[in-house]
Amino acid sequence: MDRVTFSSWAGNVVDNRGLDFGKFSAVDNLELPLGYDGYRVAAFMSWNGLVMADDGVNVVDMARSYLTEVKKLACGRCTIGYSGIRVMSDTLNRISGGQGKPEDTDLLGSLAAAISDSSKCDFCALAVKPVLDSLKYYQDVYTGLVTRKKAAPKSVYIIKITAPCMEACPAHQDIPGYIELIENRRYTEALEVIRQTNCFPGTTGRACVAFCEDNCVRNDIDSPLAIRALKRVPADHEAASGLTPVPGRAGESRQKVAVIGAGPAGLAASYSLALKGYQVTVFDEQPAAGGMLSTGIPQYRLPGDVLTRETNIVERLGIEIRPNIKIGSDIKLEQLSQQGFKAVFIATGAHLSRDAGIDNWNERYEGLVQGIKFLREANRGKKIEPRDRVLIVGGGNTAIDCARTCLRLGFKEVTIVYRRSRTEMPARDEEVEAAEKEGVNIHFLAVPTRIITENSRVTAAECIKMELGEPDASGRRRPVPVKGSEFILETDMVLPAIGELPDVSFTKNRVELTDWGGIKVAPSQQTSQPTVFAGGDCVTGPATIIEAVAAGNRAAASIDQYLKQGSITPDQMASLLHQVALDRQRDGGIVAKSQRQSPEELPPAERVLNFNEVEKCLTAEAATEEAGRCLRCYRVMLLAVNEGE
Amino acid sequence: MIKLTIDSRTIEIEEGTTLLEAAKRAGIYIPTLCYHEALTPIGSCRVCIVEVASNGKSGLTAACTYPVEPGLKVITNSEKVSEARRLALELLLAQHPHSVRIQRLAQKLGVNPPPFTLEEKECILCQLCTRTCREIVGASAISFISPGLGRENNEAQIEVSQIKCIACGSCCYACPTQAISMEDSGDTRTICTPSGQMEFKLKRCNNCGRYWAPQKQLEYMAEKSGLELAAFDLCTDCRD
Repeated sequence: MDRVTFSSWAGNVVDNRGLDFGKFSAVDNLELPLGYDGYRVAAFMSWNGLVMADDGVNVVDMARSYLTEVKKLACGRCTIGYSGIRVMSDTLNRISGGQGKPEDTDLLGSLAAAISDSSKCDFCALAVKPVLDSLKYYQDVYTGLVTRKKAAPKSVYIIKITAPCMEACPAHQDIPGYIELIENRRYTEALEVIRQTNCFPGTTGRACVAFCEDNCVRNDIDSPLAIRALKRVPADHEAASGLTPVPGRAGESRQKVAVIGAGPAGLAASYSLALKGYQVTVFDEQPAAGGMLSTGIPQYRLPGDVLTRETNIVERLGIEIRPNIKIGSDIKLEQLSQQGFKAVFIATGAHLSRDAGIDNWNERYEGLVQGIKFLREANRGKKIEPRDRVLIVGGGNTAIDCARTCLRLGFKEVTIVYRRSRTEMPARDEEVEAAEKEGVNIHFLAVPTRIITENSRVTAAECIKMELGEPDASGRRRPVPVKGSEFILETDMVLPAIGELPDVSFTKNRVELTDWGGIKVAPSQQTSQPTVFAGGDCVTGPATIIEAVAAGNRAAASIDQYLKQGSITPDQMASLLHQVALDRQRDGGIVAKSQRQSPEELPPAERVLNFNEVEKCLTAEAATEEAGRCLRCYRVMLLAVNEGE
Repeated sequence: MIKLTIDSRTIEIEEGTTLLEAAKRAGIYIPTLCYHEALTPIGSCRVCIVEVASNGKSGLTAACTYPVEPGLKVITNSEKVSEARRLALELLLAQHPHSVRIQRLAQKLGVNPPPFTLEEKECILCQLCTRTCREIVGASAISFISPGLGRENNEAQIEVSQIKCIACGSCCYACPTQAISMEDSGDTRTICTPSGQMEFKLKRCNNCGRYWAPQKQLEYMAEKSGLELAAFDLCTDCRD
């Protein structure tokens, strides 16, 4: 969007009206698209202001259209917001329809001010801001319509609704929506909302990293909503009541689609494709479905029955899961199209351990095991003899999972060696804290350089101290070895957990790869082969469950589009406005501070004795209270567009 | 103890008290509609709006949900406060012009009939019923449904579940606007709610023969108290 004639975005007023274009001041706090889907973007209205680029757009009609959408979302929890928005909407309809009364603009002004100042939560309070701005800076347009009794010309509007939490979530779940249903204990409906974008409510209700919480507006007031813990409540309720969800199918295409990998990305895509009516077959080299969810997450964080229940729900949609089949050796990738599969989704994850760069490395040594392999075996219930001492190398969630698993297996002294400091640790804070409470030692700013053995048996690791230098590509400070600071850590076992890489050798160069060996995809998840799509860890490298689920959802939507139309139209509006929508700046009424409800946990001394689930589910009462803290920060974003780029 | 000022009066009060309770104890009047001392306050009606200032930030908030803070300055009678309360009441009046409770409150605060109209509805969404049912009765039969993304309803409403409802009628007493009403006739109790009408069977007293309480309520009471259902065979009058 260029030639902005007026902007009040974020309270920063730039008024270029009446100036020659050469004298225009720039709007530098907002980047809006110039065009959209063949249209020219002419104006924008959302929670943080009003931006006009084309005088042809009638601001009153734009406000009318905007408030019609706002009205659909006003929750009804407070009189001022709910009824006030209704009166405003009626009034705007009247004015833009040429029926306005002289007192109408004053009424709009006083309502908008009252809603902005005294609503209960953020949605209505912020929603009226651009309307207030339009009243303040475009009053002549309002009075013009009222005095001439003329209807306002209409423009074409494109609307997107989001919230800071929804925008931060890779799967863009309707978080305020399901939280409100949980508050009212309407658990079945809450799950319906969740499953529209996430078929793993019980799993992610336990093991999600919760990007949403990091971007919750309550971070700036007290503490974020316990969104992850809340999501678990309806899922556990459903499981405990023995209810079986019956998702309604949205489409009826009988075409066959193959999915390689029954992890979170593969199953999410399968679920979504099955709902659209496709016949989905999932191939997996493991004996059971779940992928990293079953082999990489310990039982004390995600009990097996929770995952099994959710994979069964996916399977019950008529998806065929074929275990113990490795694509590349049992069936070749190129054979899938001969078998009638119209599209393939590759979601094989990342399971190859990265080279730890440690001297005297030999996996035949007793006591040297890759962390991810160790976890897989422990999760499968393989008998592992505990040793006295174990060293785990790395600072991610796999390292923490290995450490906490070792404690539960009876290892006496569990130490993590991490080359940077606590602040750079990629593992989630609460996981690190839990590990420390359970008695895991963490040795920061050190890295093992050489394995020391006696008779092919690990006895120690030579390590070197590190210090932090300049930030690297990831923005974290780069660890630099301190010369001459070598030291020996005696141990009986070393478990490197420094990250995994995808193994996509089965694709045999039929799809383009990235320079680090992942599968290269477009934002639609399509690979260089039009009928082959990919997503999850095999595309991104080791990432999170919810990113995999989001990739699966996106792939399903793209496959559906491709098979129906032969091409994929990306959702431009979504990506163009992503940055604008992530902003969690707030300036609503005064909100009282409140206490975040945390689920109960088993005491550390008790939980290290076994693999029982550490975290309990929030009670219905606590969930209602916690859900009631939601400020329902939905944001309506409206673009006015004109014909022609 | 927390020290704050309300309308320039210094007040000292226990932590966790709300501004509304604090004002009440100091004898300062703040009007309310959706507040009830036995229920969790939710700040729905916005009639108890006050002005607060702390740490250089000031603004309006509902007194019933805002806890006292040290050094907080609260104003209950400014122009800004009156204006916000007036609008809240006007909106309530527009929605339910025939409610005696709302009319009286408007009269007391000197609020005239509003210059706008709204679709008239008896339910003002104050949630006194949902809270009573959840917190006092324990049946959680009434829920509040908001419009939301992808949901078909465009109007907020309360919904009573006939399965969970025990027909006790507590919600009818809690409702300030008669949006929920009930009537006993013969062996049937009829409860009319914004989400529809429900009928429940009443139980006859084994002694005097009058229908004295809903069957479901008695079953609920038996279950909660651990008593046999037979303990409720006699009506309250026929018990010694």
